[in-house]
Amino acid sequence: MANLLWLQGGACSGNTMSFLNAEEPSACDLVTDFGINVLWHPSLGVELGDNLQKLLRDCVSGAISLDIFVFEGTVVNAPNGTGEWNRFAGRPMKQWVNELAKAAQFVVAIGDCATWGGIPATAPNPSESQGLQFLKRDHGGFLGKSFVSRAGLPVINVPGCPAHPDWITQIVVAVATGRTSDITLDEFQRPRTFFQSFTQTGCTRNMHFAYKVSATEFGQRKGCLFYDLGCRGPMTHSPCNRILWNRVSSKTRAGMPCLGCTEPEFPFFDLAPGTVFKTQTVMGVPKDLPTGVDKKSYIALTGAAKNAAPEWAERDIFVV
Amino acid sequence: MQHEREEDVLRADIAARLAAGLQTQTAPLIENDRQFAELLASLRGLRADDVDGKLKLGGFVDHPFGGEQMRCQECMYYLVHRKWCDLPELALPVEPSWWCRLWRI
Ligand code: SF4
Ligand code: SF4
Ligand code: SF4
Repeated sequence: MANLLWLQGGACSGNTMSFLNAEEPSACDLVTDFGINVLWHPSLGVELGDNLQKLLRDCVSGAISLDIFVFEGTVVNAPNGTGEWNRFAGRPMKQWVNELAKAAQFVVAIGDCATWGGIPATAPNPSESQGLQFLKRDHGGFLGKSFVSRAGLPVINVPGCPAHPDWITQIVVAVATGRTSDITLDEFQRPRTFFQSFTQTGCTRNMHFAYKVSATEFGQRKGCLFYDLGCRGPMTHSPCNRILWNRVSSKTRAGMPCLGCTEPEFPFFDLAPGTVFKTQTVMGVPKDLPTGVDKKSYIALTGAAKNAAPEWAERDIFVV
Repeated sequence: MQHEREEDVLRADIAARLAAGLQTQTAPLIENDRQFAELLASLRGLRADDVDGKLKLGGFVDHPFGGEQMRCQECMYYLVHRKWCDLPELALPVEPSWWCRLWRI
């Protein structure tokens, strides 16, 4: 039996919604098949008021052993570092987070807000939000660079806006069943199993990426979304085209560009007008090139790809 | 096919207009997305069959342009086999050696 506590800071509840929609395994499977005891969760917990405060205090003191502490949302520090803008169970949430993270065997940050600040931490960051162990790309965040939980691991980051339901439950199960040695983390503390490949891996528009045929409107069946519509698939680490959403599709399959939501900079360019759904270019060349490709190679590649493009690549081939 | 013939005729017609010295707005060059969006917005103000208007606003020339020899052949919107500019605001038959200000790679 592993005790799991889930709290929510500066958040929209998107990751909770995602979690409750999980299928492999589902939130119920966590309890019935994997012996996870959900101590409390904002949408599932029954304790209120004094009872909830007591439960939280018992987790901090060790009277209840806290195996997995899941945090969704940012750590809110406003105003002036006090955290008073996000009070929970009688005190600023940041104080609970600080104490519970120290008491837990494992700490799991779910979603962009908890991992690196996400949308609330977008400039000018009025809520003084931080992720648990990162603020955007900067290591540290609320708990500090050197933080490790009692089991000796840093915060396990499962980013996404929201994270895919199955990324959440599969990581929770791996932790609860003692398979943490299977979880290797990348430089941003994301489990490699999910975040080693790119959104582009498995995208049905890969041939259009290769032959440089652009989709110029949302939902178009022909073309790749990289050239005009700002798709970040070639530079975003996610398995969105391997572990499909709702088991059937993904953004790019539906003709919607990847926004890069699993990367620390999300939302990119601080949502400045004209930067969303639009490939940013300098003199006609994209500002952000696919990971590992420089401008010179990109131009050479484009010339070669255009010359080699077969006739069918120019036709509408995604017929449903 | 009828459709292709029509495109060939229009392409030849555009080539003739450019060769005859049709003055188009090749400046200023498009440096960023804001300028690109503004030019697209101006093009959207034209009627779909206003070929001259598209050529002038787009800054079409019938040869590669600039030090980097930019041309339709490598442009993102160029469909090689159809010899067609697939940017919805232009949607014109073109030659691979032409260029316009909407060029991007
Ligand atoms: S649509 Fe996006 S993910 Fe798919 S091939 Fe194009 S750039 Fe890659
Ligand atoms: S496709 Fe991109 S933006 Fe969408 S969920 Fe996946 S990583 Fe996030
Ligand atoms: S946008 Fe301009 S350069 Fe690109 S294919 Fe069309 S006409 Fe040619």
